[in-house]
This record gives sequence, C-alpha cells and structure tokens, in this order.
Amino acid sequence: MNKIESPEESRKLLNKIVFDLTRSIVKKDELTRFWFFILIMFSAVGLWGWGVQIDKGLGVTGMRDYVSWGMYIANFVFFVAVSLIGFLISSTLHLLNISWSKPISRVAEQVAIAGVALAGIIIVNDMGHPDRLLNVFIHGRFASPIVWDVSVVMTYLTISVLLFYLPLIPDLALLRDRMGNEVPKWKMKIYSILALGWNGNAKQYKTIYHAMRVLMILIIPVGLSIHTVTSWLFAATLRAGWDSTIMGPYFVAGAFVAGSAAVVMLMYAYRLRYGLKEYFEDIHFDQMGKLLVFVSLLYLYFNVNEFLVPGYKMKAAEGVHLLNIFVGRYALMFWSVQILGLILPIILMLFRFFRKPLPLTIISVVMLIGAWFKRYIIVIPTLEHPFLPIQNVPAEFHHYSPTGIEIMITLFSFTAALLIITILAKLFPVITIWEYAEEKGIDKKYFSEQPKS
Amino acid sequence: MIKKINLLIVVVLFFSVQHGISQEWLVPADKQNVKNPLEYNLENVKKGKEIFMRECKSCHGEPGKNNALALTPAPPDIASSKMQKNSEGEMFYKISTGKGIMPSFKATLSENERWLLVNYFMNFNPKKSPVLVVAPPIKATLSGRVDAGKKLVTVFAEFKNKKGEQEKLTETPVNICIERAFGNLPVGQVITNNNGAADFKIPNNLIGDEEGFVTFVVSLGEGFDAKKVVLGKAKVGTPKETPKLIRKGVIWSTNDNIPMWMLLSYLGAIGGAWITIGYVVFQIMRIKGMSKG
Ligand code: HEC
Repeated sequence: MNKIESPEESRKLLNKIVFDLTRSIVKKDELTRFWFFILIMFSAVGLWGWGVQIDKGLGVTGMRDYVSWGMYIANFVFFVAVSLIGFLISSTLHLLNISWSKPISRVAEQVAIAGVALAGIIIVNDMGHPDRLLNVFIHGRFASPIVWDVSVVMTYLTISVLLFYLPLIPDLALLRDRMGNEVPKWKMKIYSILALGWNGNAKQYKTIYHAMRVLMILIIPVGLSIHTVTSWLFAATLRAGWDSTIMGPYFVAGAFVAGSAAVVMLMYAYRLRYGLKEYFEDIHFDQMGKLLVFVSLLYLYFNVNEFLVPGYKMKAAEGVHLLNIFVGRYALMFWSVQILGLILPIILMLFRFFRKPLPLTIISVVMLIGAWFKRYIIVIPTLEHPFLPIQNVPAEFHHYSPTGIEIMITLFSFTAALLIITILAKLFPVITIWEYAEEKGIDKKYFSEQPKS
Repeated sequence: MIKKINLLIVVVLFFSVQHGISQEWLVPADKQNVKNPLEYNLENVKKGKEIFMRECKSCHGEPGKNNALALTPAPPDIASSKMQKNSEGEMFYKISTGKGIMPSFKATLSENERWLLVNYFMNFNPKKSPVLVVAPPIKATLSGRVDAGKKLVTVFAEFKNKKGEQEKLTETPVNICIERAFGNLPVGQVITNNNGAADFKIPNNLIGDEEGFVTFVVSLGEGFDAKKVVLGKAKVGTPKETPKLIRKGVIWSTNDNIPMWMLLSYLGAIGGAWITIGYVVFQIMRIKGMSKG
C-alpha cells in the first residue's frame, strides 16, 4: 500500500471513489423501478400462496405421511448454505489478510443476511401453523437439533447484521456529510442516526477495529455451527442416506460452493449495473474463480466419500436408497448435479479464460442451480422409503412431487432474498468506501472532511 | 295307476338320495345296531360328561342350551332330536369316523371312551329316563370386602331356599378374579365355610395398577344364578411398572432426559456467543460517546 502524500490528489481520488460507490444509491431509473416491481409482484403472489396454505393447511403441498420434508426444507438448507459465504469471505479471508477479498466483503455480507433471514422464514412456511413457531421456545427440547438450529440461525443472523453494520458506520458518516443534495431526506435521516455521531477520531477507529475483530473471530465457530447443525437435522437420525458421519463438513463445503457462486453473480450484477468495473476488477473474478475451484474440489472430495463408501458396502436399506439415486428415479437429477453442477465447472475454471467475469458468472449460475437441486436430492429421496412394510396407503403417499403452491412459495423466497439484497444495495454502498480508499493510500483524516464544493 | 305310483316312488327316491348325498349322514347297516357294551348308569354317564366337556363342548355347546359353534353344517345340540334320533350304534360310528368339520375321534379316544360318550348322550334320550339330573340354578347373592391391612379378601354367600328364606351358602367354591384391561384374571378359588364365608389370602406378588390398586371380582361357579360382584379398589398389589415411553439417552429426547454434557454444551455455546454479541453491541454504543472526545 503506497500512501498518497499530496492532499489535493487524496481529495480528488476520494471524491471519485465516493462518487462511484454511491452510484447505486443515487441512481434512479426505469430499470430500477421495473426491477422493484417484478420482485414485489412475485413476492406478493408467493405471499398469497402462503395465505392459501395457511388457510387450507399443508395438504395443499405435495408433502404426505412419508415424505414430510419436501421442497421447503431443501430450500431452507440451500439458503443456509448460501449464507455461509459471509463468514468465509468477510471474516476468514479478512483475518488471513487476503487483501483482494476486501471489496467483496460487503457483497458477501449482503448474501449472508438475505440467505439466513430467508432460511428462517422458510422454516416458518414449512409449518402448517406459523404461530406454532412459539412452541420451539415454550416446549423446545434441548436435545433436539431443531432447537440448536433455531438458536444458531438467530445467532448467525445477528452477527451477520452486526458485521454488516460495523464497517458501515464510517461510510454512513461519509454519506451523512456528503450526500445532502443527492438523496431524499429520509435516507439522510437513516444515515445520520445509524452513523452514531461518528467523526472519525482515533478512539472511534480503535473501537471499531476491535469490535470487528471480535465479531470476525466469533463468526467462525458460529458460521461453522450453523451449517453443521443444519446437517445434524439429518445426520442425527438413523435414516439410511442421512445417517452419515461426514454430513457436517460435507454440508459446509457445499455451502461454500453455493455461496461463492452467489457472490460472483452479485458482483457481476453490480459491476454491470452500477458501473463498478474498476472496483470489481477482473482480478477479483479471477480470484473468486480460484476460490470456487478450491471449495468445489473440497466438496467433490466429500461427495466421493459420501457416495462411494456406502455405495461400495451397499448395506440393505442404504443400498435401496443409493440405487434410487444412482440408477433409479433420481438418477438424471443426481448425475446432472454432480457432473454439470460440480465436475465440469471445476475443469472449466482451471482455465484462465473461464475465470473472466462473464464466463465465471455463467458457470456460477449453473453451479447455484445445481446446488439447489443437490439439496433436493439430499432431502427428498431418502424420505421416499418408509423402510417398514406399508399397506393400503394412497398412491400419492409413495412419491413426492411439489405442488404449484409449493413452487410459488419457494419462488417467493428467492424474490424476497433478492428484494433484501436490492434494498441493502439501494441504501448503502456495496463496497466499504473508507476501507477501499485507505487501501488506495488515502489518509483517514480526509474521510471526515466536508467536501469543498 | 300303478305306473303312476311307481313313478312317484322313483321321484321320491331320487330326491331322497339327492338329499342324502348332501345332508344325510348314512351309517352302514351292520354298524347301526351295534350294542353298547357299557351299562347305562350314573357312573358311566358322569364319565361320559367329563369327556364331552373336554373334547366336544367347544363345538357342540352345552346340552339343551343350543349354544353350539356357528359352523355349517351346525354341530347339533346333543339334547336335540336330530342327535337323539341316532341309534347308539350310529352315534358310536359317527363319533369314530367324523365327517367334514366333525373330527374323527377313532385315534384320540379309546373305544371305551367313545361308548362312555354315547352313554352321556343317552342321558338326554327321550326314551330313557335321565340318570344325571342337573338341578336348576340356585339364586344366590355374593358380597365381600377387602382388608388391605391383613391382605385378605373375605366373601359371603347366601341363597334363597325353597321356603324363600335367605340361607348361608356353605361348602361352595367362589372364584376370585381381578380386573385387568382386557377382562378378569382368575387368581384363585376359595370354599365357603359353615357360615357361608371364605377368606382369600392375597398373594404378595400381585401386581396392581400404576399405584398398586387392585379391583377384585368374585363370582360363583356352575349351578348358581348369581351376579358377579365387583369389590372396591384396594391398595394391596405392587405398583405396575410403567416403562417410560421416552427412555434416557434416546436421540431427540425430552428435557427430562437430556444428558448433562449436552445441556451444558448447548447453553455454553449459545451463552458464549450472545455474551460476545452483547459485548460488541456495548462497544458500538460507546462509539457515540466518543465523538465528543
Ligand atoms: C370341530 C368341531 C367339533 C368337535 C370338536 C366335535 N364335533 Fe361333533 N359335529 C361337528 C359338526 C360340524 C357336526 C355336523 C356334521 C355334519 O352334519 O356334517 C357334528 C356332528 C356330530 C354328530 C352327528 C350328529 C348328527 O347329525 O347325526 C355326533 C354324534 C357328534 N358330532 C359327536 C361329537 C362328539 C362326541 C364330540 C367329542 C368327542 C364331537 N362331536 C366333537 C363338529 C364337532
């Protein structure tokens, strides 16, 4: 990091950075309105579907006695997985002093907040009676992984919000001081309240660094727990297909894949939409591509273990389940996910060309879709074997396929997550301004200066 | 005319033969008139009754009560005319060979035993005078009490004599049962003494309900027309062990069963995280105060 000595140069560069990075907040056009319209409309349709489900009961879904966890739970696992990227990028890489990841931190944190918030909502819409969520707190069993999961999801959400907020404080002060003419009053009010009277003195910086460091360390065990505990929802049962000892790391590795893919997509969207070519540079995509290869290989390794070892032994019940996904009803989905969603992307991303922004984004889209279907394969086929003789059971109980309402509510979760991300991007800079400026060699003392206009 | 009569005879014969194939149980002529080698007397009839009660009652029911098992063809009541129109030889033959559902007893009962049965059947034959007369059931009343301290059930039995007076029922067996979920379980029998009373010593290992309560039911045996009497609940048994539906150490168990290490790990982890979060929030709140400095 080379310091810029001249005050004029510093101020000029800072002004440019602020101008570029606040474009997402200031920019207002038809496309923005259209985007909001689409998201809100789809979310509203999903909410209407949810209303139907609450009114008529879970019978409107495809879930029945045997397959009692369907698309919702698969979707829940997916969102928890995606949210895990927050801890990898904005904490682990930060603590390891990997500087290229710094501009991406806030993007990762946005994904984390949206993901974990939706994960919580999805659990509620998996319940016929949303009000019964309270029973977890009233009658919860401390020996139940469900209680652990609820606790850890709430903890992670809180930490993610704080980790989003802390580095935002100096930025908020910046916005408060500089954006008076460009954004509406209510936004300024939010900035000035949330900025906590920041004036950038040394003591404040010291406190914020300290608090951030504490959170970054705290989020590592909590982040690992959130997905490990989610995996225990499955692994802490005796059911063939779930009764596995590597579920925890297997889920965590898979989560990094899904989350990295989501971050790449978001980076590309911001780069394009808000003209941030100079901020989300090719090198960032290149590095994210490498990270993606690394976590994908890790995930592939766990996949080999998860399927090859039981596939070699073919224990009675496990064998039935495995044949169903290898060559049976789920074979097409399973092999597509493994080959198109994992193996092929790994091979492609080994080449520099495919780590360029656009190719990498396309690969990420495919991987993210694959990651979603992978969760479907983890949750549903296992439940389709009752493992006990059954008799006089309606035909629809044997197999699960989601209904329209279920798909609608699942779509809602996606639009709602995008809505959260969009609102965050519209309110706050998508890259931490002060950190970025400092990285570029601008002294802290210029941040709190009022620009002379 | 004669031709017509002949035709009629042929038709009747045809139908009766048809009938015979499906219904009639024909006994070869030489077997029909085999003489019963045993004497028809009380002793032999009683012996026959014993065998009947053991081997045949389950299907044929009790004589004269028409309570045979609902089979097709129905096992006839032995007091019925259908049964009694058999000659002694026919009865012996039928018991020996069996037909359809009616088993053959040639292999399971000796020739003597089968003749004893025929003797018992003869007791209900209209042409013979019965030697074993079953008296009409005696109207009787039972009462009793449970002494939890001494662990005794005391029963009293009375009946109406011919003059219509209440009289003590002596030397009579009384059945002691206890109520169970699916019916009464016999636990013993006592014989009444000269005062019409009897004591039943409650065994020590008797299992009661969850709290050890036992409900006794007393009744009189055959030959009496008396209501079963349910004595009140008494705490004289050992409490029934009710296995807890959720055992310790089972996964996803209740809070009562949670292992201490698990509870402490959970509370420790969550508590630690939230204390740290609290600390960070406190730091954030301090930032505001620092702006003046
Ligand atoms: C499994 C049930 C069953 C048992 C046990 C049984 N019977 Fe029968 N018995 C029948 C049935 C059914 C018939 C009627 C058979 C028929 O008419 O085809 C019958 C018929 C008879 C007949 C012939 C009645 C007639 O219509 O001429 C005699 C006699 C008889 N049983 C005696 C006995 C004796 C004695 C015993 C015990 C040693 C006995 N049965 C045990 C079912 C049983």
